[in-house]
Amino acid sequence: MHFLTKNPVLLIAALLVLLFIAGCGGSDESIGSDSGELIVYSSRNENFVNDLLAKFEADTGITVQALHAGGGAVNRIVEESHNVQADIFISNDISALEYLRMEGLLEGFELAGIETIDQRYRAVDNSWFALSARTRVFIYNKDLISEAEIPQAIWELTDPVWQGQFAITRGENAGMIAHISALRYEWGDEQTAQWISAVRENAGAIMEGHGDIRRAVGAGEFAFGLVNNYYYHQQLREPTNNNVGVIYPDQGPGQMGAVVNGAGVAMIKNSPNRNNARIFIEWLLLPENQREFSYSSMEVPINPNIEAIGEAAAISDYKVHDMPLYQLGEYFLDTRRLIEEAGLDLDLR
Amino acid sequence: MRMNQEEQCDSVQYRIMLKISGFWSRLWKGNPPDLALTLVGLIVSLLMFIPISYVILQSVTAGSDRWLRLLDTRIPGLLYNTLTITFATTLVSIVLGVSLAWLVYRCNIPGRKLWQWIFALPLMLPSYVGAVAYIMVFGPTGWINQTLGAGASPLNVYSFGGVLLVLSMFKFPYVFLVVGASLRRLNRSHEDTARSLGLNTWGTFWKVNLPLLRPAIGAGAILTALCVLSEFGVVALLRYNTFTAAIYYQMAGFDRQSASILSAVLIVLTLLFLWIESANRRKQRFYQISGTYRAAEPIDLKSWRLPGLIWVLCVFLLSVLLPLAILFYWTVQGVRLGAIGGNFWGYTVNSIQVAGLAALICIFLALPVIYLRSRYPSVMSSLISKLSSSGYSLPGVIVALGLIYIFNNYIPWLYNTFFLISIAYVIRFLPQAMQYSDASLSQISPRIDEAARNLGLNPLKVIIRVIVPLISPGLLAGGGLVFVSAIKELPATLLLRPPGFDTLAVRVWVEASEAVYHMAAPAALLVVLVSLFPLKLMLSKY
Repeated sequence: MHFLTKNPVLLIAALLVLLFIAGCGGSDESIGSDSGELIVYSSRNENFVNDLLAKFEADTGITVQALHAGGGAVNRIVEESHNVQADIFISNDISALEYLRMEGLLEGFELAGIETIDQRYRAVDNSWFALSARTRVFIYNKDLISEAEIPQAIWELTDPVWQGQFAITRGENAGMIAHISALRYEWGDEQTAQWISAVRENAGAIMEGHGDIRRAVGAGEFAFGLVNNYYYHQQLREPTNNNVGVIYPDQGPGQMGAVVNGAGVAMIKNSPNRNNARIFIEWLLLPENQREFSYSSMEVPINPNIEAIGEAAAISDYKVHDMPLYQLGEYFLDTRRLIEEAGLDLDLR
Repeated sequence: MRMNQEEQCDSVQYRIMLKISGFWSRLWKGNPPDLALTLVGLIVSLLMFIPISYVILQSVTAGSDRWLRLLDTRIPGLLYNTLTITFATTLVSIVLGVSLAWLVYRCNIPGRKLWQWIFALPLMLPSYVGAVAYIMVFGPTGWINQTLGAGASPLNVYSFGGVLLVLSMFKFPYVFLVVGASLRRLNRSHEDTARSLGLNTWGTFWKVNLPLLRPAIGAGAILTALCVLSEFGVVALLRYNTFTAAIYYQMAGFDRQSASILSAVLIVLTLLFLWIESANRRKQRFYQISGTYRAAEPIDLKSWRLPGLIWVLCVFLLSVLLPLAILFYWTVQGVRLGAIGGNFWGYTVNSIQVAGLAALICIFLALPVIYLRSRYPSVMSSLISKLSSSGYSLPGVIVALGLIYIFNNYIPWLYNTFFLISIAYVIRFLPQAMQYSDASLSQISPRIDEAARNLGLNPLKVIIRVIVPLISPGLLAGGGLVFVSAIKELPATLLLRPPGFDTLAVRVWVEASEAVYHMAAPAALLVVLVSLFPLKLMLSKY
């Protein structure tokens, strides 16, 4: 081996060859035709998805390979469209699912059990459907503000009385975008633009994510914040800083109702393991698995007949905004443009 | 008659060949390189070109109204933000890097040997981990405010100053390492000559040492500046909007075309920086004749010893001790809560695999490019070199998407393997290997090449048997640096990895983004520990 150690170039070349061989041998996932596996891309937090996928593996014996890529999963699916690698896409944002459908990348089927999901919460061709509700609520710190004082409607956030007292997420956040799409549906572009400008001035903080908001409200940095409902359930379960309450806004007669987005799944067209994908979707529509989908994240199932966690309000308990979810896809691009024009897209403070 | 016709046909082909070889010769100013060398250089630049071709493709199909809309609205403001933080960080990093390298490599600060490798540690921390550490200590609800009362924190992390401090603390080692290496090999004769002509230490520093260090400072500055240009994690955490934030906004809206247009601006900026640096350097030559090399003795600082030590300790506290202490604290919590599970070692192996492969590839690929640029300066070698560096400031997501597009459609057997991740790392970090190797190569006079040619070696043998041993410390150091950068890379890894393949950096991000710090810290600490060995190895040779 003398010649190897004497000449560093040869040594490095030898190492390279070794690593290369190791690599080629190791990750040789042959995506052939319907081998006993299922490829799932997910943009949800992986902790919320892994238990569900493990249950599927145990129930059916099909191995699941999961890629948790956050928001990038959609871009990857689009770029892979000429040589599809994924079977199923699990998303925490209906806009993403509808966007994929509008790009022609999804496939719809007649599915057993699909009627348990209200038509408002699925695609026109059933290529995607929502399984859990992400309702927009106010989470508030009970030590700083009482239930009577807190604003009861979304429009009230524009009131200068609330200057600096609440936190919202940045305009890039999927939940925020969906919410503003709903506002545009309800009020039209002009009034929504006014709302965005006013809230942008009024907000005490514009944070990266809802997790930051719920922790900040719990710790007493702000009186209340605009989050999705399950963040309230999560903060309640924290060991400290958990004296928080929740308000579902716009519940009065004539008011628009609470805005709902959803987390759901989609079937990708031309996928490598099409049959297994179908098995997965129909398995997912079974009641105990619908519950499992929402359970770890403490979201509320979109199917009101499925039981939710303890203190959570079922979707039939409160007034829901009447926009069908697939509209989120159509509104998506223009909403983002509106947010950009108002300057909320990049604001972070 | 037939003879004449044949002669004429031959002469037509002959004349064409003459023309081509004449053009080739003129392109290289009469000194064309070995064909093999050129080919390798071209292949490297082709590889580097992949993300740029993706950007160009997407930008060109975007339509002019999209261009106008993007370039009108907030780009000027974002550009201003980005350029100011880049310049400021580079300047501060140069001051820190040069002063510390001088103190630690040339003067008799106590504990010199220790400081020489400790100040490389900040490079091994994922910079967003560093940012989280600063927020935890100096932030509005951080430790300082909690123990000493609200408003006690001397630093507002969420400000330009805060971002500048955090970025500088984690980027200055780029300058420190390369300047330190140059200082170690500085020939004593230059300083002795200066002394004999009447300059004191301070004068020698300004008139002799600093100019000699110019290539090293330039290399370190470029690495720092381009690193800051593409930085996203830290600036997002500290709520400072830069250009890359706009790119990520477009990506979040699945608008790859707008993101590509903005990335094109980043590429232009990169090329601009590179051009400025090389134009500045063009006329200067920095060869050292190693035949009469004598190592310089450490300068005795006398009364300046204590202030120097205090300066070193301050930087050590902020850039090394603070983040490591936070990491240790949370790791202890994590181990207590059972964070080190079975998968942990799998993630470690994955990390080492992809980063190691990338480092080795970079060592091989950096040499042809810089050799071409240094020994055969021409338009073409300059083009190859610029192309190879242009991927450095591109956001990782763009590099990833470009690779997905090319490999999924045209080279599918390599797609969805970890090999692709390594290629992404090579595209992103080859410039680091290039800069470090180049700093070494620029100290070797071309006379040595010519002497070797004179003694009968062909050009390829000259490289392998003469040049490589001479600059192998620089090559290895570059490779070590690539390893350290690759093992903490996040955005490209996140997007490119095959399902089920996680690296340590991915795990850190997944846990930290949900503020589950006791799970994130052990992985981050392991990243530091795994990087320690290659870096120390490279530093001792360098």
